[in-house]
Amino acid sequence: VLLIYLFFLVAPYLVLFRMSFNEFSSLKLYVPAFTFANYATVLAEPYYLGLLARTFLVGVLVAVVTLVMGLALAVYIASRGPVTKSLLMGAVLSPLLINLVVRTYAWLILLGDQGVINQWLMGWGVTGSPLPINNNLFAVVIGLTHITLPLMVLSIVSVIETLPPNIIEAAESLGASRARIFRKVFIPQVMPGIAAGSLLVFCYTISAFITPQMLGGGRVSTLSTVIYEKFTFSLNWPVGSALVFVLLAANLAAMTLHRRIFKS
Amino acid sequence: MMRPGPVLTVGGIAVIAFILAPLVVIVGASFTTTSYIVFPPVGFTLDWYAKLLVRRDFYSSFWDSLIVALACTAIAVPAGALAAIGLHRASPATRVSLQSFIMSPLVLPTIITGVALLQFYQMVDFHFPVMGLILGHVIITIPYALRSVGAGLMGLDPALEEAAASLGATPLRILLRVLLPNLAPALLVSVIFVFIISFDQVTVSIFLSGADVMPLPIRIYSYIEFSLDPMVAAISTVLIVFAYVLVWVLERSFGLNRAFGSSH
Repeated sequence: VLLIYLFFLVAPYLVLFRMSFNEFSSLKLYVPAFTFANYATVLAEPYYLGLLARTFLVGVLVAVVTLVMGLALAVYIASRGPVTKSLLMGAVLSPLLINLVVRTYAWLILLGDQGVINQWLMGWGVTGSPLPINNNLFAVVIGLTHITLPLMVLSIVSVIETLPPNIIEAAESLGASRARIFRKVFIPQVMPGIAAGSLLVFCYTISAFITPQMLGGGRVSTLSTVIYEKFTFSLNWPVGSALVFVLLAANLAAMTLHRRIFKS
Repeated sequence: MMRPGPVLTVGGIAVIAFILAPLVVIVGASFTTTSYIVFPPVGFTLDWYAKLLVRRDFYSSFWDSLIVALACTAIAVPAGALAAIGLHRASPATRVSLQSFIMSPLVLPTIITGVALLQFYQMVDFHFPVMGLILGHVIITIPYALRSVGAGLMGLDPALEEAAASLGATPLRILLRVLLPNLAPALLVSVIFVFIISFDQVTVSIFLSGADVMPLPIRIYSYIEFSLDPMVAAISTVLIVFAYVLVWVLERSFGLNRAFGSSH
């Protein structure tokens, strides 16, 4: 196993890391060099800074939306009896086993100009022209929310299950209002699940590739879609590699935070 | 337990609808008699499924996926299981550091692993696309096998091995006659997960596939770029049904939470 790893994981990463210090050349793909110019490009040019900002924006948006939806669903699931609970969990988890391309395709046919939602709205006369809900940031956020929601629900439900069942009753018997219980007792208790879920979703989102590519329609570029483009079309490997390690650094930072929260 | 008020109940049900609705739309749309996607479908026909059956390219992609997933399972599960047994016997310090090394592909964004492998194969002139794809899948699935088998080992009574050893069994005999039979459920779970993850893999595959080998998800992805006709809905329905059968089998044999709990 270690041998497989050394050959097919460590070596490729090292090759890529070395590449990130080479110079781009339009004739020979790249010239061996040792320069930080690629990192300077990626971290200073407005285009790449905008790219980073957009990637993080998508990550944060998706994390917030999944958090709100996931919390509502997790509370609802946890309050049901065992049979309903396992049925609901099945409904939530099953999309994890469905292919990513298929799940994204679903949103493509729902949100398109001639998509199902626009067909309905125009059929009912709610709107005359198709709503601009495809090939933009909105579509990407919706698609990614759908894909990452199970991760969030799973994180929160697993924490709710470990809560002592009577803390809510205790707060009730002391005369706390429902809103107050939710804010002061429930939320602090499930905080580890919320934090873990949000970071998981954030990590997944900033490195997601298929969904922004398909639902962004070439108009929403994120780190991943540009990395793909750099390696397959414009063949600027050095800059592509530098982007890879920026993405990797962002991911590792989030994962370290995740681990720290889990320990405390 | 936090009891949901009316707002949370409605919210929870709405979120379930959000998760399942896109899948319902796909399944429904696959039966339409129109040449474009509508929901609810117009009329009822199995034509799109019939079209699917005569598509050579989809057919060969299905075989590519199947072969890659089977080969990947055949390599990743034994490798992961042996690594788990080895780690189980190692000293705590070695175990922690080696384990996080072997688990690293789970944390590293798959797009980066894909790019890294692509660059590495080009660098060392590795020209066996099928083998390259299989090895890429092996790298990202070994952690899953390691984790399920590792969890199985934790649940095993260490006295079993000691008893066998004190009765004079050789280490190989202990492995084959004592450990493996007891680990059968954990091995089965890891076989199922490794197979699904490989079969569904998109991000690594997209970098490593080409004219010679193109797994089914990548085939669907590139087909969608040209056309959104109901045939894609038909193939998607097949994959969705497959996923639900699997969820049902997992639920029946292990309980969903246990199966997913051991993989996330």
